[in-house]
Amino acid sequence: MLPDSPPRWWPAFDRRLRSEAITARVGRVLGIALGTCFVTGLLSHYQYHPWSWLPEPATPAWGYRLTQGVHVITGIASIPLLLVKLWSVFPLLFQWPPARSVIHAVERLSIAVLISSALVELTTGLLNVLQWYPWAWSFISVHYWLAWVVAGSVLLHLAVKLPVVRRGLAEPLSSDGGAGISRRGVLIAAGAGVGAVALTTVGQVLPSLEPIAVLAPRRPRTGPARVPINRTARAAGITELPPSYRLSVTGPEPFDLDLAQLEALPAVERHIPLACVEGWSVSARWRGPLLIELVRRAGGDGGSTVRVWSLEQRGSFRASLIRGSQLRAALLATHINGTRLSIDHGYPVRLIAPDRAGVLNTKWLTRVEIR
Amino acid sequence: MTRPSTTRLLLGTTGALMVGYGAWRILGNAQTTKPLKLGEWLLAAIVLHDGVLAWLVLGTGWLVARVVPQRARTYVQGGLVCAALLTVIALPLIYRRGHAAAGLTLLEQNYGAHLAVLLGIVAGVACAAYAVRVLRDRRQRVSSANERPPTDQTSPTT
Repeated sequence: MLPDSPPRWWPAFDRRLRSEAITARVGRVLGIALGTCFVTGLLSHYQYHPWSWLPEPATPAWGYRLTQGVHVITGIASIPLLLVKLWSVFPLLFQWPPARSVIHAVERLSIAVLISSALVELTTGLLNVLQWYPWAWSFISVHYWLAWVVAGSVLLHLAVKLPVVRRGLAEPLSSDGGAGISRRGVLIAAGAGVGAVALTTVGQVLPSLEPIAVLAPRRPRTGPARVPINRTARAAGITELPPSYRLSVTGPEPFDLDLAQLEALPAVERHIPLACVEGWSVSARWRGPLLIELVRRAGGDGGSTVRVWSLEQRGSFRASLIRGSQLRAALLATHINGTRLSIDHGYPVRLIAPDRAGVLNTKWLTRVEIR
Repeated sequence: MTRPSTTRLLLGTTGALMVGYGAWRILGNAQTTKPLKLGEWLLAAIVLHDGVLAWLVLGTGWLVARVVPQRARTYVQGGLVCAALLTVIALPLIYRRGHAAAGLTLLEQNYGAHLAVLLGIVAGVACAAYAVRVLRDRRQRVSSANERPPTDQTSPTT
């Protein structure tokens, strides 16, 4: 049996500042942020793995731009929020006795799962935006399944703590700090910190805030033709276009186009945002023939399922599937913002469709396959 | 102990099922998820936070309470909280600047300089708030000094 009081060396904390009132208020915001992050994350997952009977819609064109922008910004802002939340409950780590019962021990273990999975999920998410992968596993798989662990642990934690949350939210926030900062002051300072993080990064999605996006990994309008590059031709193993280049369209009535024929096709111009899974997005003016016209010429129609292939020899995204309203709205773009596509933007032709995750807009197209 | 409400039972069951689903998929796809390596990271996250970061924060708080005079303490503490949260996000950006593959428009900003400016703004706001406090204290002292008993309020000119 453990003694009733902790040993002399056991850490003790000044509980003047930390309180259920602070924890519940920070926790409420963090819970909303993590919930938003989880739901927008599922939406992003669906972009890559849609059900065949429910293809990703083409409208609203800014759909993925919004949800993925929100996903990345709420994820980044959740890091400081989580740290404040953990600060507010840190003394509970040293509660005495460490476990009152088996159930209590299990509950404390579930909190360990929550904390460690949330810390790893948010940190690796941020590092992915920086394209920094100092780990051995596949980011996409772990980020997706660990998200279920985080979200589930949050719900479990909420179930256990609901009465405490209610009590904490009902407790007024003291603005009397005695010899130092008050509880209200802590929340104001933490809110300012989290707000500053959000304000200085959200410019990678919101053009109007781009001038103050000083902590954004990317300024969306700094690339060639004012659109960023996320995979260079060099990285894709494409140095120059072979003279024998053809765009082949396969289907019931297959045909080939050489570069001159491709460029001579009737073209349309559309404003379509390009939104990356890493959270940045930018609207651009694209010009090129409608994909659906080529599909029809090859014997397909608006109900066809089409796979487009890149010149790229390897890489997980050298092909992508398009169908439904996205197929009917897609362009085979040859021009971006009034200039001919550069090789890094996918010269001679790339796919672009509304509300479609950036990397699925395959570059350096060489084959359109009607299935 | 009272019986948990239906809401809590529902939340708890859903949560446990979701945790189970995630863990099952991670363990079932060991080829891509490398559960042992992931386990190391999960453990390291707790150790680094609870064993290092939290104590650094506690130590800073202890130091501020001893070194900073009482009237300024609120503003120093508030400024430090805000500055620390900004720094946490800026550090990986500073460290990784220039590491992106050639041709990518990624991590091109001078994040170190940007963080310095942001911390300067935080310090400026904290100092301004402290100055307001000092001025208000002084005005209060002056006005309370003016509140003399009625007999004292006779002016020498009358």
